[in-house]
This record gives sequence, structure tokens and C-alpha cells, in this order.
Amino acid sequence: MSNVVALSLDSLKIFLLFFSIVNVVPVMLWVERRMAGLMQDRPGPNRVGPFGLFQAIADVVKFFWKLDPIPQNANRFLYLVAPLLSLMPAALVIAAIPFGDFIVIGGREFPLQITDLNVGILYMMAIGSLGAYGVLFGGWASNNKYSLLGALRAASQLLSYEIPLGLAATGAVLFFGTYSLRSMVLIQDGTLFGFLPKWGVFFQPLGFVVFFITSLAETNRIPFDLPESEGELVAGFHTEYGSMKFAMFMMSEYMNLGTMSALMTTLFFGGWHLPWVTDATLLGWLHGSRNLLGLVQFGVFFGKVYLFLLLYVWIRWTLPRFRFDQLMRMAWRNLTPLALLNLVVTAVLLYFWEQR
Amino acid sequence: MGVAIIALSSLLGPRNPTRTKLTTYECGVTPEGSSRIPFKSRFYLIAVLFLLFDVEAVFFFPWALVYRESVRTDGSLLFAMLAYMAFLVLGLVYVYRKNVLETDA
Repeated sequence: MSNVVALSLDSLKIFLLFFSIVNVVPVMLWVERRMAGLMQDRPGPNRVGPFGLFQAIADVVKFFWKLDPIPQNANRFLYLVAPLLSLMPAALVIAAIPFGDFIVIGGREFPLQITDLNVGILYMMAIGSLGAYGVLFGGWASNNKYSLLGALRAASQLLSYEIPLGLAATGAVLFFGTYSLRSMVLIQDGTLFGFLPKWGVFFQPLGFVVFFITSLAETNRIPFDLPESEGELVAGFHTEYGSMKFAMFMMSEYMNLGTMSALMTTLFFGGWHLPWVTDATLLGWLHGSRNLLGLVQFGVFFGKVYLFLLLYVWIRWTLPRFRFDQLMRMAWRNLTPLALLNLVVTAVLLYFWEQR
Repeated sequence: MGVAIIALSSLLGPRNPTRTKLTTYECGVTPEGSSRIPFKSRFYLIAVLFLLFDVEAVFFFPWALVYRESVRTDGSLLFAMLAYMAFLVLGLVYVYRKNVLETDA
């Protein structure tokens, strides 16, 4: 196959995989509001299209046609750069997520992953934490008291929760012995003692709990959405933003939600593997078609991601918000020691397991 | 993509700025004083703490990568890291005792 065709197929693959995570944004906009309606006994958006399905499109069109002012006192450069700085890391982290094994087109293998970095998880955490700059710049540049307070809160929250997040992920790395997300998923193929799927969550239960709670905080979701707690700070760091610039903050938030769910699926829930079914068996069922297998894996992966997203929405409409000192105490007093404990327990157990 | 979004929305949106529309938002009241208000030094302390602990946590990453392989033949890596972690926990305990995290903000 010629290089040009391969290159264009690669670009197409990258575009499709990128789009599949970006697609989380409109879907979640609809799901979140419909589910809120369901839980609060009201209809939710139901006017645009069947079941209000086109609400997200209507919203985007409306955002584009809105007045887009730059406040007089704002620092113009940082004010314009902040939404970009928050959207770009959210888009970049997608590169390391493994969506499936590989598909074969014209005798050439196309891995269902943009790039298989051998430091995949480090890359995701490094780029993901750059999002804090967007929030901090946006809040400071707006030159508004609410924004400034929201940005300060956001920055200290993101920083504080970065540590348990990293330590919880280290627990998983310790168990799998690799940084490549793809190799991690491949290790999770098969079953444990014949009745449990061989997923990371059964080896790292504490690590998963810490990681999940931390991911709520890192994505500014309730119960940790203090940076934009509307009762105290109007809208937090994006109070002064309007039109599509506000929508960009929203987009990056939902994309972060998608990548966090994908990361949890990869680390703790077996990535693209169906529970109790190994890839080899599945390949047999599909009459040895690699491409069908790739599609099924892609579907399974996104099924798991959307289950996590539903869980996020469920939590959002169930739990009240923390107070700021409670939030800080939780990060430093509870989650960090728990993550360290998880590391110690894993290390000791592995010590005895490997020295049998 | 991001630049395109910003450009497009500023092209499409209506443009009739008035003085009120451009002023800083303060719940409909005329803005009072500078918004570069002093904030609690705790935020600064937390940033410093983050730097310290993140740098310390970074040392776990290479350890985690080689641990499983190395412990098969030689267990010294476990005890070395347990000692290191003891120092880290000591640091955490010091932070608790100094009440750095007891924010009332």
C-alpha cells in the first residue's frame, strides 16, 4: 500500500478517534439535563427534535450568535488565551487513550489508538494538569472579584488533588509494571480464579476509590465544584466569559470528564475487554475477523466510558457541595494518606507474591 | 480549532457595546474598588506544599516501573522505598501539626 494512502487512512483514524471523545460533549449536555429532569421529576429539554435530542446543536448555534464582549478592565491577551489554554490540554490528552486493539485495512495494521506512548499515563497526567493554567489565567485576567476567588480556589483544588491522583495511578503502575496504557489493557485480558474478570479494580480496589473521588475533584464536578459554586461566586472563574468562549470552558470540562472516564476504564476496568470473554474467544465468535473485533472492542470501551459518565451525572444530582476547608482537608488528610497506604499494601503484597 | 471558534463567534455575534455592558460584573451593582483584592496566604502555602509533595511523589514513578521485576530476586527495593515513604509521611504529619490545612476560608 502506498504511503499516501496509509497516511490519509492514519489521519482519518486520528480524526475519528478524536471525534469520538469530542462527541462526549453534546451527548453529555443532553444526558445530563435529561437525567436531571428525570431525577427532579420534570421533563428536561424536550422541544428541539425527538426527546430534545438536538438541544446541544441548538445551544451551539445560540452560543455563536451571542454578544461576545471583552470587559473593559480585563487583560485582553490573557482573557483571550485562557479558553484556548483550557481546551487544548483537554484535546491533547486523547492521544494516549487505547480505544481498541487494531484493525487491518489492506494488509496494514491500524491500532485503535492515536499513538501508543510508552509513558502514556505520565503523558496524560502531565498534559491534563496544564488545564489549571487556563482556569487560573481566565480568572485573573477577567479582573473580577468573583473570578479571582474562583480561580484561586480552582488552582488550589486542582493542585491538591493532583497528588492523590498521581499516587493512585502509581499503585496501578506498580501492579502492571508498565506505563503504556495499551500494555495495561492487554494484561487485563482473561479471568481471575475463573469467575472474576481480570480487571485492575480487583487488584487495586483502594486505588480505584481514591482515583474516582479525585477524578471528580479534578474535573470540577459536584460535590467538588467549588471553583464555580454559583451560590457564592456567581460562576467562578468564567463569570466574565460569554458566548463561545464560555462554551469552550464547558467543552473542555466535558472532554476532561470523558478522558477521565476513559482513563479509569483503561486502568481499572479492563479497557476494551468484555468481562469473562477473552479476545481470542471473541475472535472465534466473529469468525476470525479482526476488523469486527476492533469494532466490538471500540463499542465495549465506549460502553464502559458512558457508564462512568452516567455515574458522574448521578452523583451530581444526588450529593450536596463540600465546604472549602472540608475539601482541602479531604485531599491532604484523607486521600493522600489513603493513596500512600494503597502503595504500601500493594508493594508488600507484590513482594510476597513474587517471592513465593 | 479553538482560534477558529473564537474568531467565528466574534464575527457572528452582535456588536453594540455600551458602557454598562463592558463594566465588570458585580451582581448588577456598579463595581466598587479594585478587584485585585488581597487573598489568603494559605493559597500560597498550598501551592508550596504541592510543589514539595509532587516532587516527592515523582520518585515513586520509576520505582513503580521496575519494582515487580526487581523484587523477584532481591527485596531491598521494598525496604528502601518504605524508608523513603516514612520520610514523606513524617513531612505530612509535620504539615498537619502546623495546622497549615485548617483553613477557615
